[in-house]
Amino acid sequence: MNILEFKNVTKTFGGLTAVGNVSFEVEKDSIFGLIGPNGAGKTTIFNLITGIYKISQGEIYFKEDPIHDLQPHKIAQRGITRTFQNIRLFKKLTTYENILTACHDNATYGIVNALLRDHKFKGQEKKLHEKAQELMGILGLSSQKNIIASNLPYGMQRRLEIARALALNPSLLLLDEPAAGMNPDETIKLMELIKEIREHFGLSIVVIEHHMDLIMGVCDKIMVLNFGQKLADGTAQDIQTNPKVREAYLGEEEEHC
Amino acid sequence: MTAFMQQIINGLSIGSVYALMAVGYSLVYSIMNFSNFAHGGVIMMGAYIGFFLLTAFKLPFLIAFGLAGVGTGVLALVIERIAYSPLRKRNAPFLYFIISAMGASIFLENIVVATIGPTFKTYPRIFSPEPIAVGNLSIGRLDLIMCVISTISLAALIYVIEKTKVGTAIRATAYSVRASALMGVNTDQIIMIVFGLGGLLGGIAGVLFGMKYTVYPQIGFITMKSFIAAVFGGLGSLPGAVIGSILLGIIETLTSGYISSQYRDLIAFALLIFILIVRPIGLMGKTTEDKA
Amino acid sequence: MNWFYIKGILILSGINLLAVLGLSLLTGFTGLFSFGHAGFMAIGAYTTAVMTIHFHLPFMVALGVGGLAAALASLIIGKLTLNLKGDYFCIATLGLGEAIRLILDNVQYFGGARGWPGIPLHTSLLNVFIIDVVGIVFLAFLIRSRHGRNMIAIREEELASQIIGIDVFKYKMKSLMISALYAGVAGGLYGHYLGFLQPKMFQIIKSTELTIIVIFGGLGSISGSALGAVILTALPEALRSFDKWRLVVYGAAVIFIMISRPQGLMGGYEITPTNIKCFLFRFVKKDKKHQGMGGR
Repeated sequence: MNILEFKNVTKTFGGLTAVGNVSFEVEKDSIFGLIGPNGAGKTTIFNLITGIYKISQGEIYFKEDPIHDLQPHKIAQRGITRTFQNIRLFKKLTTYENILTACHDNATYGIVNALLRDHKFKGQEKKLHEKAQELMGILGLSSQKNIIASNLPYGMQRRLEIARALALNPSLLLLDEPAAGMNPDETIKLMELIKEIREHFGLSIVVIEHHMDLIMGVCDKIMVLNFGQKLADGTAQDIQTNPKVREAYLGEEEEHC
Repeated sequence: MTAFMQQIINGLSIGSVYALMAVGYSLVYSIMNFSNFAHGGVIMMGAYIGFFLLTAFKLPFLIAFGLAGVGTGVLALVIERIAYSPLRKRNAPFLYFIISAMGASIFLENIVVATIGPTFKTYPRIFSPEPIAVGNLSIGRLDLIMCVISTISLAALIYVIEKTKVGTAIRATAYSVRASALMGVNTDQIIMIVFGLGGLLGGIAGVLFGMKYTVYPQIGFITMKSFIAAVFGGLGSLPGAVIGSILLGIIETLTSGYISSQYRDLIAFALLIFILIVRPIGLMGKTTEDKA
Repeated sequence: MNWFYIKGILILSGINLLAVLGLSLLTGFTGLFSFGHAGFMAIGAYTTAVMTIHFHLPFMVALGVGGLAAALASLIIGKLTLNLKGDYFCIATLGLGEAIRLILDNVQYFGGARGWPGIPLHTSLLNVFIIDVVGIVFLAFLIRSRHGRNMIAIREEELASQIIGIDVFKYKMKSLMISALYAGVAGGLYGHYLGFLQPKMFQIIKSTELTIIVIFGGLGSISGSALGAVILTALPEALRSFDKWRLVVYGAAVIFIMISRPQGLMGGYEITPTNIKCFLFRFVKKDKKHQGMGGR
């Protein structure tokens, strides 16, 4: 079954085509890699999936339902969430508060319940706190519980962003350059983490990355974008041997060299 | 029809003064992206300076104009240095600028109340109240002067912005403060020049306004309408500010003429809300899409 | 200084405190800036007065109706303006606040611009105090619930809030309505304290004053807002003898606060029993290494 499907999606800004007639499918429970040179339209695809940009043409399906007309928060509630290339945490809140806030959809109490501090409020609030605590543990953030997000080291901030995303119980997680600015050691740890997350939460993951080790190591399938067009897709091996991909990354090969 | 044309002429005259004030708001907004509510206080000070130069010092009319403009230009600069510059260095959010501006405006208004007093002051009569007849229409001499001086001042401003090196720098800074700074523009200096220019025109507008009506400490509030005009035309756009002001002036005089002068201010604010809902960027504003 | 005078200052502080609490939710916790809250106060004040004078409702019920009327007005205003970005929302609220005042200026039923005398003096120190306490407790409870947390999330990072499934528009609306409700009740108390209402009392300067207090107290701090309201209401009143120089000093002080202590009195922290204990603890055991719990 496909969890996500792009059908002939186009996005234009004025005269510029950021994404042109792109189609692809992401299989359920798989890790899907999205690669391509800078400006190829990778992040734009994330923005289209999450509803931050409206598509110009085409259709996007999530679990076989069209989602391209929904507002971002509705899409999130359906079970798609993401991290950002340039980290967007709730900067002045602590690690714990960041995660706890994101847990909000696991509770249903209203404002009146909150003002009266009744049974419903207390019971649900307790569950939210438990959930936040659990996520913090899984992502190894427990020791940073009361640290303000903007004071966390870079790698931890990326982890926290993932933790915050997981608080929604998503079925599809979009990671936008999760290893950016990480050293090789941290990148390997992150690879492990991504795999673990998939196992533990039963998720499908789409990941944008420039670290080829990471992409080739974890992805079941990979799509290559160039100038907003799909260049190729397939397994890691298919991509590595594809001449068009090499051309896009390394430039055209000279005839006699 | 004659009555209608008469209203239009009156509207043009008041609109041209609004334009002088509105470009001050727009100039600052185009570079610093905040609504400089202290501008009203600056305009009010211009009206007072002009008043004292004409009454106490009995200076000739045009010299009083010039000096009032210089005075308010300097005042606007001082406000920038004291109230905004420290915020700018800290990259404070726009609200802090607005609050600081409100503080400056409260300060200016009340220092006038405390020293000169809250009473209305009437400018000495400089032009004969006898209107000039053009066909069936009669044009007040003062209205004509208002139009002429405003047009000359605005033309001078446009010349500076479009044709001089400083103007190019101002336009570049309005486009992007950071990029201009990297290209070697002294943005700090440009910001001061912009405040100076805005203050200069505001002072001239203040004198014109005082001559047309009266002078009192709360004039600053009336200048709120030139701010509305700036929003109407599109904050940050100079042609927008001018067109918005002229339109607002005409709408106001038509309201006074055909409905009731009581609703004049209400119509102005209703227009503000209407434009914000329908087209928040104003008539001539630019759309921007921010990147995720 | 006699008791009557002090009582008057306390009542005024209490009324301002309530309006400031409301604005604090909107500005300090949701990150929206309004220069139209005086308009909501005006709606609350006039509605409450109509309820007590023409409908003979008990004061507390009338206050509730006044608050709801303000909230209802904010619902309409919010629908129209909450989609506007930063500065433009600010300008829109300013315009709407003024529009409300100018409309009242022209409604002869309420005495128009000349004012409306003869409003019964129902406001007392006791009922202001009780309402303030309830207002503070409710606000604190709201902030420490998922609803409050969602509002704070919007303040911190709007895009990320949407991505974690927060309906940004809805929560901004909730914040605006609750905030207007507080302002409306404060307006009702104000009218029934002075015994007189005039649209002039609700000019932009009043909205500005409320925003200044919130910032002075520190954005995102309930105790800061409360302290700020009391200090900034009482201080100018105590300086009455300076009279005409009072507002000059006030204007200069506002600029001074903006450029020198932008984080405000409390800098986002709260006065709670735990925080006080930590604070004192730090003093007592100065030599021993002790990690204070984070505030908030």
